[in-house]
Amino acid sequence: MKNSAPLETACKQYEEDLVLHYYGENGDNERRRVEQHLTSCHSCRRFLGDLQRVLPQMAGAEEMPQAFWDNYYRETVSKLAEQEERKFWWRSLFNPMRTWMAPAFGTVAVAVLVVGLVIGKGNLRLFVEPRGESIPREILADQNQLEFFESMDMLEALDRLENQDDQKTDTTNGESNRAELPGVVA
Amino acid sequence: MRDEELVALSQQGDRHCFEILVRRYMEKAYHIAFNFTRDSETAKDLSQDAFLRAYANLKQFNGRSSFYTWFYRIVVNLCLDHARRHRRVAWESLDRMSEEPAEQRQLADSSYAPEEQALAGEAKRRVNETLETMPKKQRAAFLLRNHQGLSIADVAKVMKTTEGTVRVYLHRAVAALRQSLVEFV
Repeated sequence: MKNSAPLETACKQYEEDLVLHYYGENGDNERRRVEQHLTSCHSCRRFLGDLQRVLPQMAGAEEMPQAFWDNYYRETVSKLAEQEERKFWWRSLFNPMRTWMAPAFGTVAVAVLVVGLVIGKGNLRLFVEPRGESIPREILADQNQLEFFESMDMLEALDRLENQDDQKTDTTNGESNRAELPGVVA
Repeated sequence: MRDEELVALSQQGDRHCFEILVRRYMEKAYHIAFNFTRDSETAKDLSQDAFLRAYANLKQFNGRSSFYTWFYRIVVNLCLDHARRHRRVAWESLDRMSEEPAEQRQLADSSYAPEEQALAGEAKRRVNETLETMPKKQRAAFLLRNHQGLSIADVAKVMKTTEGTVRVYLHRAVAALRQSLVEFV
């Protein structure tokens, strides 16, 4: 800032318009109105001149060397790659470069399957025969016992049928005997 | 390739397209952050963080606004957040020019005049103080318009406010800066 003269005070009602005028942000009507006012107002002209002198100097960005930007770009790209790697870490497992991973995964999978089956089978047996609650052997019905009981049931059913037949025969015989005896009429 | 095309490809997972956007906006992002923080390392960290966040949230960008207003909003929000966490900002670094050895300035500036340079340094310090004490949004509006050259409409989009509000911020900021320079002399 080579010239440090104070900013001139502008007309209060034009101050905001002058700021917008400086930035080229007011509409056509406003611009014309401000320009017309500027022709007759020395203070506002000075004020605008001060803005034109001071504000661009404030905006002056520090020039950085090309090496800075190259380094900045490399760093940002590297950080982006790291971020993506963290987000998709599981992709690295299937990276084709890691060819040794496939047989290793296969072996581990087979081992897990075998162990699972062995343990699973044991568990199934335990489930069928829970420890501490074993049923007495005498009570357990094997195939022979079942056949025995089935045949017993059948024999009992035949006996019942025979008895019923015998009872029917007895009843029929009794009635015929009564008919033959004339004195025995109800 | 236009920003929209690069964004669309980046959204599909093409990181190299996003890297083109990084190259395109890294200087602007850095300068916004530097205007807020006045510290080169912090500005670099903040602006790089803005790129990382933009890439991570790129799927949320719906294209209703331009990429740069969306991206600037991320940068400005990070800067405002940083300013909230570090209330005292090291504005002194802007005074580097006034703190440079006299010989260097004399060589660099053919129109060197010690008295004028001293006044300029002091004026710059006062401007920086004024910017530091300014309300954060007012400062953001002023820096985006004056330092970054964004239109008032774009500043309003970046700050998610109305153009009228930005005009008021801008006028107040300029008025405060003018006041600081009046007091200075």
